[in-house]
Amino acid sequence: MEITIDRSSREPIYQQIARQVRDLITTGKLPAGFRLPPERRLAQALGVSRSTVLIAYQELRADALIDAHVGRGTMVTPSEAAPTHPEVEQELPWRQLFGAAVSGFQDPLVGDLLRLTERAGAIPLSFGMPAPELLPFAELRDLITGVLDDTGPAALLHSPTEGLTVLRATLAQMMAARGVGCTPDEVLVLSGSQQGLDLAARIFLDPGDTVVVEQPSFIGALQTFRGARVRLIGVPTDEHGMRTDVLESVLSRFRPKLIYTLPTFQNPSGSVLPLERRQHLLALSRRYQVPILEDDPYSELRYEGDPVPSLRALDPAGNVLYLSTFSKLLFPGMRLGFLVAPRLVVRQFALARQTADLHSNTLGQWVLDRFLQGGRMGDHMRAVRQAYRRRRDAMDAALREAAVPGLVWQRPQGGFYFWCRLPAGVGPAALLARAAEAGVSYLPGRACFADEPPAEFIRLNFSYPDEEQIREGVARLTGVIRQETGHPSTAEIQAASTRPIV
Amino acid sequence: MTASFARRLNGMKASEIRELLKITQQPEVISFGGGLPAPELFPIEDLKVVMADVLDREGPRALQYSTTEGHPGLREAIARHLNSKLGTAFEASGILITSGSQQGLDLSGKVFLDDDDEVLCESPTYLGAINAFRAYRPRFVEVPTDDDGMVPAELDRAIAGCRRPKLLYVVPNFQNPTGRTWSLERRHAVLDAAARHGLVVIEDDPYGQLCYEGTTPPALASLPGGATVIYLGTFSKIFCPGMRVGWLAAPPEIYEKYTLVKQGADLHTSTLAQHQILAYLERFDIDASIARIREVYRRRRDAMLRALESEFPPGVSWTRPRGGLFLWATLPEGVSAREALARALEQNVAFVPGSSFFPNGGHENTMRLNFSNMPEERIAEGIARLGAVLRELCAGRAG
Repeated sequence: MEITIDRSSREPIYQQIARQVRDLITTGKLPAGFRLPPERRLAQALGVSRSTVLIAYQELRADALIDAHVGRGTMVTPSEAAPTHPEVEQELPWRQLFGAAVSGFQDPLVGDLLRLTERAGAIPLSFGMPAPELLPFAELRDLITGVLDDTGPAALLHSPTEGLTVLRATLAQMMAARGVGCTPDEVLVLSGSQQGLDLAARIFLDPGDTVVVEQPSFIGALQTFRGARVRLIGVPTDEHGMRTDVLESVLSRFRPKLIYTLPTFQNPSGSVLPLERRQHLLALSRRYQVPILEDDPYSELRYEGDPVPSLRALDPAGNVLYLSTFSKLLFPGMRLGFLVAPRLVVRQFALARQTADLHSNTLGQWVLDRFLQGGRMGDHMRAVRQAYRRRRDAMDAALREAAVPGLVWQRPQGGFYFWCRLPAGVGPAALLARAAEAGVSYLPGRACFADEPPAEFIRLNFSYPDEEQIREGVARLTGVIRQETGHPSTAEIQAASTRPIV
Repeated sequence: MTASFARRLNGMKASEIRELLKITQQPEVISFGGGLPAPELFPIEDLKVVMADVLDREGPRALQYSTTEGHPGLREAIARHLNSKLGTAFEASGILITSGSQQGLDLSGKVFLDDDDEVLCESPTYLGAINAFRAYRPRFVEVPTDDDGMVPAELDRAIAGCRRPKLLYVVPNFQNPTGRTWSLERRHAVLDAAARHGLVVIEDDPYGQLCYEGTTPPALASLPGGATVIYLGTFSKIFCPGMRVGWLAAPPEIYEKYTLVKQGADLHTSTLAQHQILAYLERFDIDASIARIREVYRRRRDAMLRALESEFPPGVSWTRPRGGLFLWATLPEGVSAREALARALEQNVAFVPGSSFFPNGGHENTMRLNFSNMPEERIAEGIARLGAVLRELCAGRAG
């Protein structure tokens, strides 16, 4: 359902919504029986208050265009009076043609967010990207331009679905440095770890299955799992990551197919799961025979403190499927990540991948292999760690200096993000709009929760902007938060209230 | 622990054929198996220039995240290229860059198919498409096809027997596996049926530019008639398969869904590869390169047809493709192509038995022969050996 809000228009927003939905229904684009998004979801997606959507729906109901059914939501009413024009070329009923999986991909939030940040002058604290100026461009340039001299046509040909054999061996070696013993045939090259999530969903999940995720969790994983039409059960977290004491009752009650976790410098919270909880998590996985999908994009980006072994490194039983990526360490546009898993699982991933896209770009795999083999990764990592530590400290200092009452955060020991709890009463939708006006972007915390969040959070990235941008961005954002604190709009209060059913 | 895979995977098994063909990678084997382009035809020297060019011009941007839809310049170049070749009127905004056209097939399955939906296709049809769609557990309905393409009356009959027909998957040009090309009348008739029944047409066109006689008929996507056509294309057959860059063209209301689904699948296709292809298209003449490929493949096709004429026993028939990479042979009823393959492999000759290309099985007496990947003298030699195997098998059956 495409609805656009024009805030500069004099037409009230609820009328804009009602008008556009009415047009969609009368032109047959929303067929009878089409279920409209719940008021809260639509309000969130459009960045308007729930009461605004409520009024719009009431109008449509008064026009008998939609009807609310308890338990089934709000649907387009069938109408014999609906005009049909047999002589006019009928558009296909797209909603009925799309597969059910597509409904899991409806969340337009990320796209909207990217558009907001594309406004000129906006300081992006919303991304999850490495700083391009810190990446080893000159070295990669030499490798890329030289690779065809070395390989001839081989770098342009098909390559194995599991990945280039040399690269798999190199990655297995690299994993040894991460404390993981694995053989090359337990490694599968991926086009970024997003593909690993997608393939994992294909391989393990049927509609109606249950997946355990952290509360909060990585937004891309939540979208992938929603697309697989599974039930997501969120396990609460604290400053030390997943509450494994709560996990046990979840496992016994819901018998999930998969536990998805990002235990080190989590996205979005930045937390690190301590060793004891890791061991507890692994023990539970063994007891309940539930595999763990460990997502580890950030563990190499530690700026202080001692490393904690990955779940995969602690797991002798083979319960852990380990995903990692080069998108946070090197250039993300090369789209290269990898999976470490038992052979049987690697085989199944490869089979699924055959039907998905055959294999990753061959030349890119050669280049990555040469880069890793050349021993250049160590120097590069030392340099980026230093730079990111300074950026992290700059963000921490800027947040302290602003000293917004009620704004709570923890300085992360690594990774890319600060996770901040907003002062009570700050409305998330209003804040997003105000921040865009002020020229700063961030990721709203709501997007990272499988269901209703316990409080309102925001995620701030410090790897992409430089120190000056960080200071300016945090100043702009905290200024807006301060203004919004204690002044929730009437609309936000209405939206948060529950109407008595009479 | 025993991994608990999804039930959906039951429909997916390691292809025994693929296992069998692994041995065909040995250099002594004359392979008519894969659909690989000939690597000696890749424009390597031009590409070296392109690699340096891209990085000097674009700098780090060539290695950064890019949008899911793909590089705007490449989308424009593809739209222009297609519109000039196919008579289509694609807009750059309707082109989605995919990680090879295999991804276009997979995304189509994900966008449209639920369990037990029906996919109508030619009989036989492309194996990679069968596998991509099968992951979404549809029902395959094969529509009889002759030398002019899908038979419209049979299509109507097939649709009448469907409960939830969703997709019509077709390869109208130099089809894989048969090499057949649809006539213009058939194109119109099938589009008409698709429009009448509200089917979405997936037009897969990897080979359209590999035409060795006459001209390639207009793409379905270029013809009027009100049917919705999603057009899939790729650089794999006319450029380099390892780049993994293809595209699809879809109407706006569907395009958005494809983009969302692709975002969940791999965010976007390699930025570097997209830049490299665009730079190649801008700097060099891909049409001249395709013309060279066409010339070589035409000679190889002719070599194979000549050899078949003299070596294959009576009772075996085959198609005479006007383009593409494959031809299709039918053995006498009761002669097993699988058995023939086992014996041919002993003679170091490989091909793909045809039954794999029928989603619902059967047709054990058919075989697909690729003619693009072997030089002419090896084609002659391989067909001679294969002919001997077939003569033996046919004689055994007669006796």
